[in-house]
Amino acid sequence: MKARAVWLIAILLLGVIASGCIGGEKETTTQTQAPSTEVQLTGDFTKDVIAIGKVLEQNGVNEVKFSAWGSGDPNSVMRVYGIVEAARRINKVWEENGIKVKIVITDTHYVASFQDAYKEYLSKQPLGQAGDFFVNSYAFLPTLADEGYILDITDYANAYKSVIDDFYPSLVEASKFNGRLYGLPQDTEARPLYVRKDVAAKIGLDVSTLPEKVKNGEFTWSDVYYWAKKAKESGAAEWGLIHRKGSAHPDLIQFIFAFGGKLYDEKTGKLVVDVPAVYKWLYVEWKFAQDGLLPKDIMSWDWAKQIHPTIVEGRTLFDIGGTWYWTEWQTKQYYAKGGGEPRGLKPEEVKEWFAYTLFPAGEKGDKPVTLSQPFVWMINSKAGAQNPKYDELKDVYHKLAFLMLIKASDPDINAIHSVISAHLPVRKEAAKLIKDEKWLNDLKNLNLDLDQTVKDNIKDIVQATVNPINAQFLADVSYMLEYTHLAPAHPKYPALADIFKEAVDKVLRGEMTPEDGVNYIIQKVKADPELAQNVEIVGEIPKDWKFPQ
Amino acid sequence: MNKINREKFTALSFFLSPMILMVVLFYLVPLVMTVYISFTRMRNWNVEKYLTEFVGFYNYQRLFYMFQHDPTFKAVILTTVVFVGITLIINVFGGLALALATFFISEKPASSFRLLWLLPRMSPIAVYSLVWYYFFHGSEIGTLNSILMKLGVISQPIPWGQTVPWGAWSIIIFVNGLVGVSFGMIVFTSALNQIPKELIIAARVDGASAWEISRKILIPLTKWHFLYVLTWQFLSLLTTYPHIFLLVQWDLVNKDYGTTLALYVFNTAFGRGEQDQGLAAAAAVILSIIGIIGGFITLKVLQFEKMMKRPRGDF
Repeated sequence: MKARAVWLIAILLLGVIASGCIGGEKETTTQTQAPSTEVQLTGDFTKDVIAIGKVLEQNGVNEVKFSAWGSGDPNSVMRVYGIVEAARRINKVWEENGIKVKIVITDTHYVASFQDAYKEYLSKQPLGQAGDFFVNSYAFLPTLADEGYILDITDYANAYKSVIDDFYPSLVEASKFNGRLYGLPQDTEARPLYVRKDVAAKIGLDVSTLPEKVKNGEFTWSDVYYWAKKAKESGAAEWGLIHRKGSAHPDLIQFIFAFGGKLYDEKTGKLVVDVPAVYKWLYVEWKFAQDGLLPKDIMSWDWAKQIHPTIVEGRTLFDIGGTWYWTEWQTKQYYAKGGGEPRGLKPEEVKEWFAYTLFPAGEKGDKPVTLSQPFVWMINSKAGAQNPKYDELKDVYHKLAFLMLIKASDPDINAIHSVISAHLPVRKEAAKLIKDEKWLNDLKNLNLDLDQTVKDNIKDIVQATVNPINAQFLADVSYMLEYTHLAPAHPKYPALADIFKEAVDKVLRGEMTPEDGVNYIIQKVKADPELAQNVEIVGEIPKDWKFPQ
Repeated sequence: MNKINREKFTALSFFLSPMILMVVLFYLVPLVMTVYISFTRMRNWNVEKYLTEFVGFYNYQRLFYMFQHDPTFKAVILTTVVFVGITLIINVFGGLALALATFFISEKPASSFRLLWLLPRMSPIAVYSLVWYYFFHGSEIGTLNSILMKLGVISQPIPWGQTVPWGAWSIIIFVNGLVGVSFGMIVFTSALNQIPKELIIAARVDGASAWEISRKILIPLTKWHFLYVLTWQFLSLLTTYPHIFLLVQWDLVNKDYGTTLALYVFNTAFGRGEQDQGLAAAAAVILSIIGIIGGFITLKVLQFEKMMKRPRGDF
């Protein structure tokens, strides 16, 4: 009886294992000839594309399938349609040269939350089900590269040095891991401090000179406090300051940089809790909340029903936001002052109501800052796996994928994305294009050589956003990139950011003093041995520090 | 092995094999895999790289270290005890009360009434949670606050989910209680319908009220179902987190007093940007052990073995 039971279980297990193996075998094809499976990239785009096309054709491949995965706000769909357009442009080259190969983008997967997109990619990449192209925050690049999930494009990029050199160098640096290039920058942004002009006028704050004063470090957070208080006390606005919430939106860590602190130690490769800077950050938040200038429960405010309406309806003097707010306010229905149906703002209204500056210095002697989170186009290390003869032609498919990224980075594609989503261009050539009125006009009328699918998908966004005012705004904020900081691209950073968020929430609500908040952060970091190993705690809480000064 | 035994074995194998296959595939294999993974450095789903990288008890040590040193862990334990305790009572007794209530009314209104209570379980988790997000929102956009303010009961909105601990607890208990109550209701309804109608008719003839019928006949005869619902709900409450996850994620509910052990485990392993399957597996093993002990105690206290006893008489 016992022996039988053992047999039964053994057979069962064998069945389970066997079922796992079925289908796992690689497809083998009989070779009748030995066409070339190699292509050398020369740096001449057309020549390289033709060479790849010929190799594919000789190998009997007439259709190359790729999928593109992207994420972000509703106006940033060019993150996937850029790939669709690149495919069309390459197809055109092949067609003109009589090569019967075609790239087909099988899937444009676009979701709102970039963290969700990243999680989905992580879980599906090992199964070979993740997108061939993946655009996401540079913050995830180190992990993806370390796990071998994305392609090292350093050698390919060497052939295209002239294109790579046109990208802003700091953004190319953000696309590297251990000195190797793993992606091409797709967009970036700055996070201005918006100032409501009508409220400022009521309390006598001159906004015309403000950007310059902030830039010189004359206007610091103490001044922000002073004017916020004045706006609130005079009844000119309900709030002095509104800011973003959550840990994934790293806006608030600008305080650390603005108080001269740091978040990452390049020498040790560890994250840093810069105690003095963090204390000052929490103190400013606490002071603003205690004095009723900033809502105590801002961290649980609703984006669409509270945060944005409060800003666009002029119920706050200051707002820490992002450049993409500029068009988001135009395309989303946030404005419902006077009880009407909520509507989007007109470009003229946004221009008339909002001034923008850098994130002011913490105190005199510190520098103003801004924060960017570049998005990067990455290639799956299994890119092209759904195509025929993948084992032999792997290198060709990878090179083709790289050339698609080069094409998707064409200045006009990058400029279209920038204008319609109010992100900043990543290439100098694209920045030039944005200032070109004729080109803007052509974009407005969609009078550009673009794939019909792309046109259909961006039509409404173009209608709502392409406008000289918006283009001017992008040109105006571009200087901010010189002051930009990046959140550390460290695998443990999200865990630390989460702890910061919790501490800010508790301090704002008055559950903790700034000092308690700092201790809470330290305690939380130390509670996880793995996090503690990756974080340095530097400095002490400053004594006799005053705010406002 | 004699012939009879062999025949019995063949018959048993035939009838039991689908079930054994299911148990092995869906319970045993995952269980073994979970325990195995908990001893590896598995992360970011990178099976190729980490599946054979053994780290001994590292994941368990790390987890216990966090339990000891995390300043919010006490709140998590307290929340788990209160949440499981109160929601369990609501789910079991609420289910029983609903089943009894619908038992005494005619079938048509009874089924539509039961269907109404099934709605929370049928609606997608995100949609259902969103409804309560807007209902309990702590500002004037929250439905509850806006009603109370219109009625003049309060002048300032109350941040329900951020009022610790009871505000946060009430919301997670309420939201999960509504979902869970229908399970007990269905089990008890079917149990009540199994009771021979003669007993009830006889009691009615003797002049027994609905309350007396419930207390003297219906409840005693559904004892085993009661035990089943209790154990089942206890285990499922111990491990549930989707609704709570969303409510905490959306900042409706205070994180410390809205996080149960199951959610804490989920957040530790997956919620912080890193996908640490080794740590998650270790945490799952610990949760399973707690569940097994808890389930065992419940069954012992409620004398489960009596139910499993062979019935008297011939077999």
